[in-house]
Amino acid sequence: MKYVGIVGSNADLSYNRYLLNFIKKQYSHLFELDIVEIKDIPMFNQDNDQTNSQPIQNLNQKILDADGVIIATPEHNHTIPASLKSVIEWLSFKIHPLDNKPVMIVGASYYDQGSSRAQLHLRQILDAPGVNAIVMPGNEFLLGRVKEAFDEEYNLKDQGTIDFLQSILEKYNAFVQLVNRLEAPKEEPLPEEDLHASQAIETTIEDVEMEAQDWVEQAAEKVDAVEGNTYVKLNRGILTVDQINTFLASMPMELTFADENNQFLYYNYTKEAEDMLADRVPGQVGNPLVLCHPEAALKNVGWVVQQLRAGKQDVVRIHVPTHGPDKFVVHNYQAMHDEEGNYRGINEYILDFKPIVDWYLKQTGLKLEGDIDATSGASQADDAEVDAGTGASVKS
Amino acid sequence: MKHLIGLVGTNSSQSTNRKLLQFIQMHFQEEATVELMEIKDFPVFNKPSDSTLPSIIQEAAEKIEKADGVIISTPEYDHAIPASLINALNWLSYDIYPFVDKPVMITGASYGTLGSSRAQAQLRQILDSPELKARIMPSSEFLLNHSLQAFDEENGLKNTDQIEKLTGLFRDFLVFVDLVNQLVQAHGSNKKEAENFSWENI
Repeated sequence: MKYVGIVGSNADLSYNRYLLNFIKKQYSHLFELDIVEIKDIPMFNQDNDQTNSQPIQNLNQKILDADGVIIATPEHNHTIPASLKSVIEWLSFKIHPLDNKPVMIVGASYYDQGSSRAQLHLRQILDAPGVNAIVMPGNEFLLGRVKEAFDEEYNLKDQGTIDFLQSILEKYNAFVQLVNRLEAPKEEPLPEEDLHASQAIETTIEDVEMEAQDWVEQAAEKVDAVEGNTYVKLNRGILTVDQINTFLASMPMELTFADENNQFLYYNYTKEAEDMLADRVPGQVGNPLVLCHPEAALKNVGWVVQQLRAGKQDVVRIHVPTHGPDKFVVHNYQAMHDEEGNYRGINEYILDFKPIVDWYLKQTGLKLEGDIDATSGASQADDAEVDAGTGASVKS
Repeated sequence: MKHLIGLVGTNSSQSTNRKLLQFIQMHFQEEATVELMEIKDFPVFNKPSDSTLPSIIQEAAEKIEKADGVIISTPEYDHAIPASLINALNWLSYDIYPFVDKPVMITGASYGTLGSSRAQAQLRQILDSPELKARIMPSSEFLLNHSLQAFDEENGLKNTDQIEKLTGLFRDFLVFVDLVNQLVQAHGSNKKEAENFSWENI
């Protein structure tokens, strides 16, 4: 972190200057502090625009380059000094370097008040639209009775004060990061997903009604699709279409293929809808995704596809707890990519994890810790050495 | 007839606060004399260790000292009074105390809608500090908003409601000056407090 420290007084002797020097020296492990003086900056006058003068431009550039600004103000006549106010007026007239800049206020004074009223005014001033600084709320640092506060080397004497100052400077570091996130350019929203699959792609079988119950038969005829004992060359191997079907049917999960046009093209049909973890019926194949989900779920479907298409996530997993405690059913939406890395659709595999976890526990003799019902998730304690590949932490 | 100082609270040559004070000067000339005081040539205050004051400050202090009261008209810069006005008040309380127990009326003009409301609140607080300790007329606020459109070619206020309000406040202020002159009990201690206040120690 790199901060600018503004000495809020043009006086030759300023305890606020000592305070900033101390901060720079004492807390150098937290940030770098560039202390700037304001005594060369002329009195603001709108008739005589000196925005482009060297002292004002120097200060402007330093503030623009800094991650944040610390202002140390004394109190004159219950407010900030004219010289500091003048600087802020210049910095809000034609130029606005403090705009959205995180600012921290500290102050020192000879009396008990420690510049309390000046600090409040300064907050109000920094909040004005032309200035628009973002002042750290709370965390006031008021150093009263300054004559007794420093030793001969101008170090603060009181350890409690030193520790307190450190604690609020640490908070200021966090505050600066927070403000930077607040002011970071907003992410472009991802383009809307067309769940009606209306943008045909190269592999789309056209001129067949997607909603048709016999879409598969019609589409197969249209493209003269192979079946049965015809060989298909794959990466890597050769299988007949029947063999591919046998292979996919044996997968211990429900597999669904939707292409990048959001058209539902395939599922490994082995069970009737009522016996499936997520019901599918043969007549649904060919449908656009908009017809595969209830209206209320479409927003979430669109979001999942956006994440996968944009590469924000490779897989989106959703636990569906409606199957009772004996199952742990997860819908896994896995992005598919071709060899060039282009998005090619979704491999949705629906899987009950419970038998896998049970088998694992049985084989290893490990136990889940605590009174866990199967729907609550796999939180487990780790005493034993566990295969690093599992990811789950387990207790022996 | 009472003699008042009209303190122009800015160093800008294009000030509607100056216009407002000029209007007051002209409009109430049968009731009091108002002498305008400019701050634009005051040097930048920096707590000089040599406490001899510049002659322009000494002259201003003497005029305020002699006057029956002061009307300060302030714009609002960045939610507060201008640096040039803070600067003037810094000087006018630096080992001199012309404002102690001086009756003060605050007015303000701004280009926008709020009419310098926040600056006026801040100015009250400033004038209340021990080294200034003015007697500010309470419960009175004159906010002239949209001040660029507020005056006609002869520098007269266009809005008759505004004139009526200002007239009421101005006449009250003349009464307030008499009242303050009877509030003498605390004067001694106020003066002492101001004198005890040391800029060396701030």
